[in-house]
Amino acid sequence: MTEQSGFSRAQVVLLYLVLTAAIASGIAIFSSASTITDMLRTATDGLFLPILISLITAFLLDPLVQLFEREKINRTASIFIVYALLFLLALLLLLLIGPPNWKGMMQALKADFPRYFGRAIDYFNIQLSAVQTHLPFIKSYDLTDKLSSSAQEFFGMIIAQTPKSAMRIGSLFLLVPLFSFFFLRDSRRLMRGLISFTPNRYFEMVLDIYDHVSWQLAHFIRGRILEALIIGTVVWMGLSLTDIRYAPILGVIAGVTNLVPYIGPIVGMLPGLVIALVDLGMGGQFWWILCVYLLIAQIILDNFILIPILISRVSNLHPLLVILAIVMGGKLYGVLGMIIGVPIASILNIIIMEIRQYRKTFNPHNRIFVTRNERY
Amino acid sequence: MNPFWNNIFRGSGYQDTLAYFLGTVPIFAKLNKRDLRFLETIVHERRYQANEIVFEEGDIGSGMYAIRSGQLRIYTKDEQGSEINQAQLEPGDFFGEVALTASRPRIASACTTEPTVLVGLFRSDMLEAVRKHPSISAKILLGLTRVISDRLHQSNLQLLDLQQQQRAKEPQQP
Repeated sequence: MTEQSGFSRAQVVLLYLVLTAAIASGIAIFSSASTITDMLRTATDGLFLPILISLITAFLLDPLVQLFEREKINRTASIFIVYALLFLLALLLLLLIGPPNWKGMMQALKADFPRYFGRAIDYFNIQLSAVQTHLPFIKSYDLTDKLSSSAQEFFGMIIAQTPKSAMRIGSLFLLVPLFSFFFLRDSRRLMRGLISFTPNRYFEMVLDIYDHVSWQLAHFIRGRILEALIIGTVVWMGLSLTDIRYAPILGVIAGVTNLVPYIGPIVGMLPGLVIALVDLGMGGQFWWILCVYLLIAQIILDNFILIPILISRVSNLHPLLVILAIVMGGKLYGVLGMIIGVPIASILNIIIMEIRQYRKTFNPHNRIFVTRNERY
Repeated sequence: MNPFWNNIFRGSGYQDTLAYFLGTVPIFAKLNKRDLRFLETIVHERRYQANEIVFEEGDIGSGMYAIRSGQLRIYTKDEQGSEINQAQLEPGDFFGEVALTASRPRIASACTTEPTVLVGLFRSDMLEAVRKHPSISAKILLGLTRVISDRLHQSNLQLLDLQQQQRAKEPQQP
């Protein structure tokens, strides 16, 4: 046997021992790696959101800081000036408009929410029974029950989460300015330090790609946030013209959901439409509200004006990728993950596209020179 | 002077800094101390071993290098692929400055001949500096223009020289 396979007995034993040792050490490494990732996950658990928001804030504030830096003020001082100006602005707004009555609004919404939902389900029921006369098999699915139970669940979740998220928001007010200060001040040095680790041969390429990617990223993030702000404001103003309640909150919802392409605007539209239907009925005001959401905010403003100006074509995502990003984000971080999943996917997309673009643009030159020199 | 006094009157050590070195590079010769301190923050110091390739002919260039220490040779390859040495560069020399303004393929290769420290100034950092500190960048770019136009002038003169030589030869040939 041993002669046939070409191994002596000692060699087989040695092979067996080596394989066993390899497998054992592999398992050991794997298990320790998984505990290490576990530890990492618990350590960074609450930090994801503050770091993300402060990164975005840093991206937004960077042009302002540069404005002051150009006047030969050093960077740290310019950051402090920008912070002070923002603080003053917020104070001024508070003095002029008065503190918004968030708590009262939340309370009212809490009371109104079941009412709106009940009405919506009633309306849905009427529609459904009309449909059932034509398609009798729908009855067996018991759609209304499912809908109302999931609505109850959702509402309960919101009530349970509110105090928790309030605490979170409190900590955000502390952490975000701190983090974004350091991101603003040291991000350049940090990135330079990271880039300096690349091997000499690839250094120029990495530096170029980093430059492109960071430019695109800054452009994309600023564009998206500005877009959400403008859409939110327009929706708020458009809704304020009618008698609808909660126009500011609906504006905020429309703005935030607008961060998610394709699906976001539809989801952001639903609460406004439900409230309009329940409170105002199917009148002219309802059609105006629909018009504000769909025609003015989405089609005219977003598609024809904002997206061409603010968002470059590089960051376009395939609809399938959008859905995947929403689902995966939702699995990881819940509702928040659904909203930020798509921007993060777009960021990854931008990085990949830029690298591909770089290689595509610069390869033809290489090929010319390579064929001329017959190096390969 | 004995080492004791040397140690006491050694000065601030400015001559060892990167800023001082940058001031000795012809492109940055007109920059003052403060500008050099700024330049120090946008250049990258890279260490190379002996016989390491810095860039090759046909690579997309993105910046210039100055030699802080060590030695480096510039070469091209002919049709057979054998290397032709073009220049041997010493500390204080710089190369690849054309790539600073536009991304063009490198027209020659650079390879170190001994352990070398290079100081690289790259286009992306330069563009950022143009946005943030226009006055200093203008000085740097003016220095670059001066060096490049000097070379253009020189090569024009050489070209004229060659033409004259050829004209002098032509009447005798037929």
